[in-house]
Amino acid sequence: MAFPSREVAIVATSQTPSYRHFDGPEPVLIMRCVNDLLATTGLERDDLEFTIAGSCDYLSGLPFAFVQNIDGVGAWPPVYETHVEMDGAWALFEAWLRLQLGDIDVALVIGSGKSSPGHPREAFPLQTDPYVLAPLGLDPVSLAGIQARCLIDAGKATERDFAAVASRNRRDAMGNPNAQVTGDRSVDDLLKEAYVCEPLRRHDLPPISDGAAALVLVAGPRARDLVERPAWVTGMDHRIESHHPGLRDLTTSPSTALAASGAGVGDGPVDVAELTVTYSPEEIVLREALGLGDGVAVNPSGGPLAGHPVMATGLIRVIEVANRIMAGSAQRGVAHASSGPALQQNLVCVLQGGE
Amino acid sequence: MPDVEFTLEYPYTRTTGPVIGPFLTGLRDGHILGSRINGRVYCPPLEYDPETAAPVPVDLVEVGPGGVVESWTWVVETTPKHPFDHPFSFALIRLDGAATPMLHAVDGRVTKGTRVVARFREERVGAITDVYFVPEEGAPPQAPIEPGAEPVRLTTHLISLPISEPLQPARARFVQGLIEGRIVGQRSPATGKVYVPSRGYDQMARAEMTDADDVELPDHGAVSSFTIITPVRYYGQKETEPYIRASILLDGADSPIYGVDIRDIPPEQFRVGMRVRAVWRPPDQRDPSGFDNRQGGNWEQFIERWEPTGEPDADPAKMQEYVF
Repeated sequence: MAFPSREVAIVATSQTPSYRHFDGPEPVLIMRCVNDLLATTGLERDDLEFTIAGSCDYLSGLPFAFVQNIDGVGAWPPVYETHVEMDGAWALFEAWLRLQLGDIDVALVIGSGKSSPGHPREAFPLQTDPYVLAPLGLDPVSLAGIQARCLIDAGKATERDFAAVASRNRRDAMGNPNAQVTGDRSVDDLLKEAYVCEPLRRHDLPPISDGAAALVLVAGPRARDLVERPAWVTGMDHRIESHHPGLRDLTTSPSTALAASGAGVGDGPVDVAELTVTYSPEEIVLREALGLGDGVAVNPSGGPLAGHPVMATGLIRVIEVANRIMAGSAQRGVAHASSGPALQQNLVCVLQGGE
Repeated sequence: MPDVEFTLEYPYTRTTGPVIGPFLTGLRDGHILGSRINGRVYCPPLEYDPETAAPVPVDLVEVGPGGVVESWTWVVETTPKHPFDHPFSFALIRLDGAATPMLHAVDGRVTKGTRVVARFREERVGAITDVYFVPEEGAPPQAPIEPGAEPVRLTTHLISLPISEPLQPARARFVQGLIEGRIVGQRSPATGKVYVPSRGYDQMARAEMTDADDVELPDHGAVSSFTIITPVRYYGQKETEPYIRASILLDGADSPIYGVDIRDIPPEQFRVGMRVRAVWRPPDQRDPSGFDNRQGGNWEQFIERWEPTGEPDADPAKMQEYVF
């Protein structure tokens, strides 16, 4: 049996703005997305046959927060429901596989997170090796700093290149109503800022954000019934590298390249790419790994540097590409999500409009 | 209303295994060990061949204590979890004798190619933090190291995350009500159901609520469920005598308040359907501390006890929908 055996498409998307601090509970963020999706599609809550969410209790510090998040979907009547302690993009991957089984047609995919109550730089070392890295408090900003230094020493980029990524993303984000960090600041102006982790400055880092995103994934002809121009998922793959930074070449992303190959990025032209560029140097690594030429619009939404609701950030990349395809402004696009420090694990999803 | 402040903690104890165990033992005793796999020496050492993921025989060799910096970042803004409370370098350090670099902290500025050397801390426990690095040039001498007695077989790691956030709006109004001796719930505009304490939304109807939906509930109702807790002894246990923890359906509410401690009604008299009323603490003894954004209520901080009203019982069968 060829895989994937069933055509699957995104038919509706929703996302909250990226908030520096959202004063309500996380389920309300999800509730807003779910109500929006039901209104857009005309589907009833009972039509959502499979629900999957990506979130992380460490962020808001509430054990079993992921259970309460179901409040945002409506816990009654019961459906197949599951959760990944990963970005919502991986929830999308599981939903995509789930629909391949053929017994159900409609899935709800959610990603949500409230990072504002805690200190992300203190929480994220917990995803590193518990014996030789986590006790050092090795945080993603520091690792991104080391990755940036590797790029500079390899002659692949300069601090000016990093600032240029940040400057462009902030400017592009001015057209995105959900963005948190926007503005027209020149590269020279940004380069006057102080270092956080040399060679990275504040603008090279993402903001701390609260937010949620969700989409409806539908298999087969039902997708065409629901929406005129669905965004078809033509390929998806994810790969991971060693958790020891010393065993990786941080100037490249072989896992992204493998996932891109698995997802079929090179099988056609790419009109738009939304990439999980959490730190500005990552855009340089990812462009190369995905084989994106200078003509490809990368992160027209402003990307994670403009809004970073952790656990929704990757799913929002998929949504930004899907929105452009459903609106007809793009025919084929690539979405990328990342997990782990310094682009350790990478997911690539290829979306396409109808023929 | 003050911010909710707490520290989320998980104390982990891990076994160390045949490779990390000797590595951590070495650090405690002033040596750095790498593992030789197919002729290459890896530090930190591995239990497997990173090329194939196949298990490999344990073959540990000493590396360092000097090495060379391959990449680095100067950490200007440090976190409380870092090894130093002043700016320092995280660096990829290829120790002498090793083929691959180890990520660790250097107390000082470095650049690519800088030679650094390990310094072992005075207090060592068999952890990666027993050691740090300094630039080799002008390095202070290493203090003498007294090896430990037993091999390191366990390592502890306390996960400790400080959390701080405001009480969510509906929650803040609920707590303010308790301070004033009132029980504030919310009536769903979608279903008319009255929730107390309210989460700020109707989870059955996916409907948000605002302060316009606030309602005040009476401080009396009927027991809808209970359990008798017999304390067992464990570290930190303060209870010694059996006590009741009950759910109470306040008159006019559609959700019970739960986790209510009952200390002075004898268990043999307590029953589902029993009518009870709150006896509030005096205003100056009402304590909102420890209230967070979870759904339970620390009722005993505001209500001294619940006493039977003596009214006829509510129908226990009707309480089945309001257990929790």
